[in-house]
Amino acid sequence: MTNEARNLNDKHDAASSGGVRSLFLRRCSAALFLLCPALALAEVPRPTLPADDRTNGRHTLAAVEKLTQLAFACAARIESLLGRPVCSATIVGEDGYLLTKASEVPDLAKVRVKFADGRSTELREIRREVRYDLVLAQAVGISGLRAAHFGSARPLTLGQWLCSATGAQREARIGIVSANRRRVPGLGAALGVRMDEKVPENAKGVRIIGIANDSPAEAAGLRKDDVLLAIADQPVAEFKRVHEIVNKRQPGEIVEVRYLRKEKEETCRVRLASRTKILQNWEGEDFANGGISLRTDNFPDALQHDIPLVPGDMGGPLATLDGKIVGINIARVDRVTTFALPVESFWTEIQQWVEADRHPPKAQAAE
Amino acid sequence: MPPPGTHFLRRSATLLVALKVVAACAVVAGPAESKNEPKTDIATLLRIQADVQKLLPQVRPALVAIQTGGGTASGVIISPTGLILTAAHVVGKPGRDIRVVLDDGSTTTAKSLGLDQATDAALAQLKDRGKPWPSVNLSREIAKAQPGEWCFALGHPGGFDKARGAVLRVGKIVKQTANSLHTDCVLMGGDSGGPLFNFAGEVIGIHSQIWENRDQNVHVSMAPFLRSWDAMQNSQVIKVWGVGAGGYLGVATRMTDDVELEVADVIDGSPAQKAGVRIGDVIVSVNGTAMTDQQQFTATVKAKAAGDTLQMKLRSNGKERELAVQLAQRPQEDSE
Repeated sequence: MTNEARNLNDKHDAASSGGVRSLFLRRCSAALFLLCPALALAEVPRPTLPADDRTNGRHTLAAVEKLTQLAFACAARIESLLGRPVCSATIVGEDGYLLTKASEVPDLAKVRVKFADGRSTELREIRREVRYDLVLAQAVGISGLRAAHFGSARPLTLGQWLCSATGAQREARIGIVSANRRRVPGLGAALGVRMDEKVPENAKGVRIIGIANDSPAEAAGLRKDDVLLAIADQPVAEFKRVHEIVNKRQPGEIVEVRYLRKEKEETCRVRLASRTKILQNWEGEDFANGGISLRTDNFPDALQHDIPLVPGDMGGPLATLDGKIVGINIARVDRVTTFALPVESFWTEIQQWVEADRHPPKAQAAE
Repeated sequence: MPPPGTHFLRRSATLLVALKVVAACAVVAGPAESKNEPKTDIATLLRIQADVQKLLPQVRPALVAIQTGGGTASGVIISPTGLILTAAHVVGKPGRDIRVVLDDGSTTTAKSLGLDQATDAALAQLKDRGKPWPSVNLSREIAKAQPGEWCFALGHPGGFDKARGAVLRVGKIVKQTANSLHTDCVLMGGDSGGPLFNFAGEVIGIHSQIWENRDQNVHVSMAPFLRSWDAMQNSQVIKVWGVGAGGYLGVATRMTDDVELEVADVIDGSPAQKAGVRIGDVIVSVNGTAMTDQQQFTATVKAKAAGDTLQMKLRSNGKERELAVQLAQRPQEDSE
């Protein structure tokens, strides 16, 4: 990995009497060909498929309309206290038990759940499981919910249709199982800063020499030339130490950062993101058309599909065309990739937690 | 933590360019034609699924990942002798050695043949392995790939990943142009050169470009491949094409940072070269009309037939000059 991010724009413009032109930018430092926008178009008018008739247009989605009303009755929205959408949730018990994406909701006291019938309430955290990036919670004082009707994800095959809900209006979107089901290895978490590798003598910490756009560091207010002194109460004298501390944490986790700005010591709280997300979007590029989840990797078992969703849809249910819930959407990764946790990977364990919570061991009466 | 070693294109560049494109589309596309298609039902979706799943094992072995010095992309084998279709911006030039990864993860090498830079079509040849290569057919019925038809795409977005395997997308054709197909099969970097299939399992497109929206994925159609097959097999590089009845000038243009239309290339032996058009000239006006962008220039040239004369006002080093260019009939092919 090089220190300086390279930007090689290989432009090739060729407009001619033929009227065809192209502009290709290539990313050369990292082994990928990027497809790029074309310049100038001078074609004769051509019939274009109306948006309604496209794969996720109104007319095509009519096929799943009835199904989705039923399948997505088990979906709920997690909102901030001010009503801003945060992410989605899947109801797993009619008495208010639900699952949502843990890294999107570090503090359940700061969010509420809103159900399809308009009811809204606060959440009680029961258990947070980093392996799955799921949190089990219960909606306080709620009953009569429709819980997910789980089917098996095992029979799913490449090319099989799936559907999920998107946005606050819970519109249906369809897509297919698009790649092999597999373990997705993790590359750790990151702040989104570039640091000075040369530490001058008498330096008190590590100087920041660059901040990634739309990164955790930027969101926390860190700036270029700030000097990092401590991360999570551990002093940092060189960039490798910062990397060590941050990298073994999970995306979505919050770390306290102590730093020096203009000789003054300050602190801020940084919510970490997946390293892959930061590296791929250093300048805030949105290759996913709608944003990327904070945590995009390190899942023990993941289904890959191509339903056009956004990060706020994560935590919500994934259904087959016969209305079975086969997984929970867990990460929006890039333009072509969304990961979902297949039912089998988490459900047995979650059921035990729900049961244990419903029937806590009776306290032994003191004799 | 170490700084990023990867770097994608700048957002602003994408946006700027994409907006231009959208504007151009809005102008030329006109009212969209509605086929008055009935609403889709689940049976239709399930039929599409069954067809894709039936074809997949047949076509998937023909998909390859291509690794050149500059990056990774995709391609598709279309003959048992090992001829590969890919995108011109993947191979760059003829005679280049490229590393090819097959669906099962085994690797081999190929050499790039000719390419059509104007449409982004390219051919490459796998080395002989003593037995036939897995291959698919390409569709020769270009007109059949109409808006509304279902299709599916394969590729290696982000590069070859053994555990993940090839990535499948199912979608619809949104538009057909002279040299390309637009679909809502969502593509991304690394897909370049990969195949778009119809429901006969034939290649109808090669992934080429993406624009701003998810519905804007552009594939080279089979038209440029079929049209320049011999030239490409002979390792020729095609830079310009005379499309339709328009006359041939032989100039490639680009927009400068000052938003002026500049001559980026002049084809050897072209009417433009003979008339004295030089690389770096700013095109001020054509036949008295001020030239502000590439679309306008292209449209102006295309509106004239071979034999017609263009009065071009050019500027270089601050000095303006006028010249007359008589458009020619035939596009020139240029071999390297």
